[in-house]
Amino acid sequence: MKKNTVLTYVALHLMLMIYSMSGICSKLASKQAFLSPKFILYYGMVIVLLGFYAIAWQQIIKRLPLTTAYANRAVTVIWGAVWGFLIFHEEIRFNKITGIILVVAGVALYALSDGGDDVKKGSSASEESEEAQ
Amino acid sequence: MTKTVALYSLFILFGTFISAISQVMLKKAAMKTYPSKIREYLNPLVLSAYLIFIVATLCSVIAYRGVPLSLGPVLEATSYIYVTIFGVKIFHEKVNRKKILALALIIAGIVVAAV
Repeated sequence: MKKNTVLTYVALHLMLMIYSMSGICSKLASKQAFLSPKFILYYGMVIVLLGFYAIAWQQIIKRLPLTTAYANRAVTVIWGAVWGFLIFHEEIRFNKITGIILVVAGVALYALSDGGDDVKKGSSASEESEEAQ
Repeated sequence: MTKTVALYSLFILFGTFISAISQVMLKKAAMKTYPSKIREYLNPLVLSAYLIFIVATLCSVIAYRGVPLSLGPVLEATSYIYVTIFGVKIFHEKVNRKKILALALIIAGIVVAAV
């Protein structure tokens, strides 16, 4: 993996952690009356995080194939559980942990199958993304 | 899963579907060459994609009235199904057995977490 690719992955995951916080804001907004001042504040924060995501994601998918970038988004599943547990004191039952592990494993395999193609054949998706730059 | 959670979950599932469509629009935009940096963002394709994305966020807010935050992103993982289908149909990306197995794991995980 090239140094630039590693940096792109680091940026992607930092961005995804920040982006996952939009879930916290969505949940807070859902508890407020529609268009009440607090609703606007929390929903506004969702939009701000979305704006941040918009700019960062557009740059990321120019440097990574869409499927690979999308696959890494699975980490937001873990962040959702972490925020739900820490902030909203949600009960995380055994079946939810099992389900999350399966989803993350599935997404890791998804990304791995894509990466394998890149190394062996040079996937068309990565060529496309390089052309886009 | 209670009936209320199931009902509110539908909003997340719908929002995820339309945001997968917006991802395709963004990828299409990223593949084009634009005269300036600002035009990479301010063009009809990118703007409509983000409009769809905003509708999806409103779907999420409605959904979270009944869905726990810890379940939301699990349901959003249905996006991999759509992105694979769109990847094959629109961008002619290849699907191998590993990817099919991965999708099976993801679907199993969603079902296990949601039940």
